Amino acid sequence: MAKRAKMMTPDPVSPIGEAAMPRAASGDAGITLSERLPSSFVQVQAWPDTVAKAAKVIDKLAGEGVTIMATGPGRWLIESDETGLEDSLRKALKTDAAAVTGLTHARVVITASGLKVDWVLASGIALDFANMEPGDVALTAHHGIPLTIRRLPDVADRKAYDLTVFSSYARDFWGWLERAGEEVGLAVA
Amino acid sequence: MRINCPICGERDHREFTYKGDATAIRPAIDSDDMDTHKAYIYRRKNSAGTHRELWNHTAGCRTHMIVTRDTITHHITSVEPVGPFADQLKEGAK
Repeated sequence: MAKRAKMMTPDPVSPIGEAAMPRAASGDAGITLSERLPSSFVQVQAWPDTVAKAAKVIDKLAGEGVTIMATGPGRWLIESDETGLEDSLRKALKTDAAAVTGLTHARVVITASGLKVDWVLASGIALDFANMEPGDVALTAHHGIPLTIRRLPDVADRKAYDLTVFSSYARDFWGWLERAGEEVGLAVA
Repeated sequence: MRINCPICGERDHREFTYKGDATAIRPAIDSDDMDTHKAYIYRRKNSAGTHRELWNHTAGCRTHMIVTRDTITHHITSVEPVGPFADQLKEGAK
């Protein structure tokens, strides 16, 4: 079960709960899941005439522990290992430059990896996983549950993805991953 | 049916929401011609063949677009972004 690395608010509760407790697969694991509660998760939406200004501020954030995902015209999702990203972005981008929305407590990131991860995800998500490269980001849905999917660098020749899901849907989506992963062997890290 | 979103690329139509006939033009707000208002709200040609319609990529980038689609075959001949970022998107696609 994941905990936020550095807590800003007294909300350490995982929305997935005991289901995310580490466990091994009964045989070989074709897919391995883990839960991560982001320390900071922020959306920035620039206006049409302020996209360049917002991009300049966001580019400066790039570095270790920060993930920047372009998710639409003038829009970014940014995850950081550090707390306080929302406040710093609000200071750098006033409302005439962009709308900064804190989503730290509204999103959960599920990392899925393994030899059969594409097979399991494709059984319920209409994306062409074979054509996603490391770093590619796709916004999609699984049976009405919005998802942001980012392919990670391979780990030991095994593909891996970060699946960002609304906290309120995380337990349900995790349940689907467990059921879909049963046929290939599922482990929780 | 798959729609080629100008931002996200080709995606299943279930990611999109149909937003209505793109040829219906809203009358001026100060128009007191009730027949024009009625036509805008209710009257649709329901044409068999080429149709321009508004879609939103609800489960993706949330961009609005005009899709030109054959209502008999679902063959899509064009997808154009609309909305405040449309000009930038069209410029970027050149």
